[in-house]
Amino acid sequence: MSIVVTDLTVRYGEKVVLDDISLEITHGKWTCLVGPNGAGKTTFLKVLLGMAPYSGSIKDRGAEVFKNHQRNVAFVPQTPQIPQGMTVAEYVMLGRSKRDGWGNDSLASRAYVHKVLTQTHLFGMQGNLVSQLSGGEMQRALIARALAQQPELILLDEPTSALDLHHQISVLNNIELLKENGVTVISTMHDLTLAAMFAEKIVVIKSGKILLSGDSNTVIHSPELKKAYDNRIDVYTLDSGRPVIVANKEANS
Amino acid sequence: MMSTEHGAIARIWNWRITAFCALILLAVAIMAVSFGPISINFFKVFKTLFDLPGGSTGQDRTVILELRLPRVILGALVGAALATSGAVYQTVFHNPLADPYLLGAASGAGLGATIALTSTHHDLHAALPIFAFLGGVLAVFTSFVISGKFFADPNSLLLSGIAVGSFATAIQTYLQQKHSAALRPVYSWILGDLTSASWGVVTWSAVYILIALVILFTVAKQLDGLMLSDEEAYSLGINPKKLRIIAVAAATLATATAVSASGLIGFVGIVVPHLVRGLTHRVTNRSLMTIAMAGAAFLVLADLGARTLLSPAELPIGVITAFVGAPFFLVVLRNRRKVMQ
Repeated sequence: MSIVVTDLTVRYGEKVVLDDISLEITHGKWTCLVGPNGAGKTTFLKVLLGMAPYSGSIKDRGAEVFKNHQRNVAFVPQTPQIPQGMTVAEYVMLGRSKRDGWGNDSLASRAYVHKVLTQTHLFGMQGNLVSQLSGGEMQRALIARALAQQPELILLDEPTSALDLHHQISVLNNIELLKENGVTVISTMHDLTLAAMFAEKIVVIKSGKILLSGDSNTVIHSPELKKAYDNRIDVYTLDSGRPVIVANKEANS
Repeated sequence: MMSTEHGAIARIWNWRITAFCALILLAVAIMAVSFGPISINFFKVFKTLFDLPGGSTGQDRTVILELRLPRVILGALVGAALATSGAVYQTVFHNPLADPYLLGAASGAGLGATIALTSTHHDLHAALPIFAFLGGVLAVFTSFVISGKFFADPNSLLLSGIAVGSFATAIQTYLQQKHSAALRPVYSWILGDLTSASWGVVTWSAVYILIALVILFTVAKQLDGLMLSDEEAYSLGINPKKLRIIAVAAATLATATAVSASGLIGFVGIVVPHLVRGLTHRVTNRSLMTIAMAGAAFLVLADLGARTLLSPAELPIGVITAFVGAPFFLVVLRNRRKVMQ
């Protein structure tokens, strides 16, 4: 069972942002898009949200469903727009909107939000304003809202880029929580080490084309990966077998 | 408020405050009909309004039903329109200081009114509301067109609104200086007044304002989605671009109607939403109906002040709202800075 992307092309005016890409996204797994800035990763997420017109096809279980925004897709942005005067409970309740209709917080939904807040360790803060949350708490609130949405698919745009190490791990663990609930996860991520640690599949995109895709381990150890980053990265393997990817200052440009 | 009964989060929507505001509005309205150069007993007014036995007769009855009542109703309509539009603009533009005149509605209407007042054809003076209405709507529409892409970016719309507004004000000032005889009526129109209130004015403004308010109340809950980024809104199942156009169009219809019926009454659109938010601790667009009631009550009270403070002379209502509004505006600014620090 998978989402099959065939010959996907996205243009903004004259500019080709995604150029004839094809890939397969396995349901219930975590697929991570990596690549330099401006490669087209975020655009790919927008396509799955139904926000960007495209040519080609994206089929989920054989049906073309992303054009008309028929899938329940949760989205966690890189920098959320923080609503003024809204409490954490109200914010997470927004995740139920598509299910209940806007503003109809049913008893079932309120019970579900209670459960989600507990799962993400936000229970006790439900009356706090989201505008007063710390960066890590805000990220957890976003994940909680995504959980409340009970989506089939969750898209995360750089979920860890603004967080310290401790919070990065805690957020990534929360995303694993989503996966345990049977959600298909697609994220973009700059940190290759974290990508290799959490994602099952890595797709390397550069200038709108897929350079490389496959099982995380294979991709990380492939020489092609270094090429994608102009040979400016080094891959080391720890004793535990875990790969660590670092920038290489000396490499020629 | 957020207790946990049966393992569920407490309900978010609450009708009690709205009902409370409706009662206040009713009380304020009856009070406003009673007070004036001729004071009429509260109970008599009540009885007259509801056509009960023991109501006023003769001159008092005429004062109540033909002079004061239409004026109070118009005040309530205009107050509700301005406060609700202000709240909606604040949500759409992610800016707590946005007001209904932001996109050039006020300056456009001002230009329209000035054209009517300075025209040599005296017939046109009577058409002032139409000119003001068209001017306001045209200015907002121009802002939309200039900003391009119809709402890809709320900030560019805001900037083009400011540019269009300044341009309209420039022409308006030129016309006003050229026809110095019209200076006084133009000036008094700009400060706002409800003296034009008659059943005719009340009827047409009620139609437009109520249509706009019904649209805004209908989409109020979805406006939560506009407080997020467009991508998040999409994922939660709304089309933010479409919703923004609907919300701004309805708010503009309400504002333009209010302006053409009563001139430029400032600050209601900012003061009332913040006051209600401060008192209820609710997200602005979730209290839209409460804000409408509070706006109506606020303007009826302000008009009562305008009529009675220098009685029998009248103060422009804009002076009262600005006198209360300006200091309040500064307090909001101050608190906002505190939150940001």
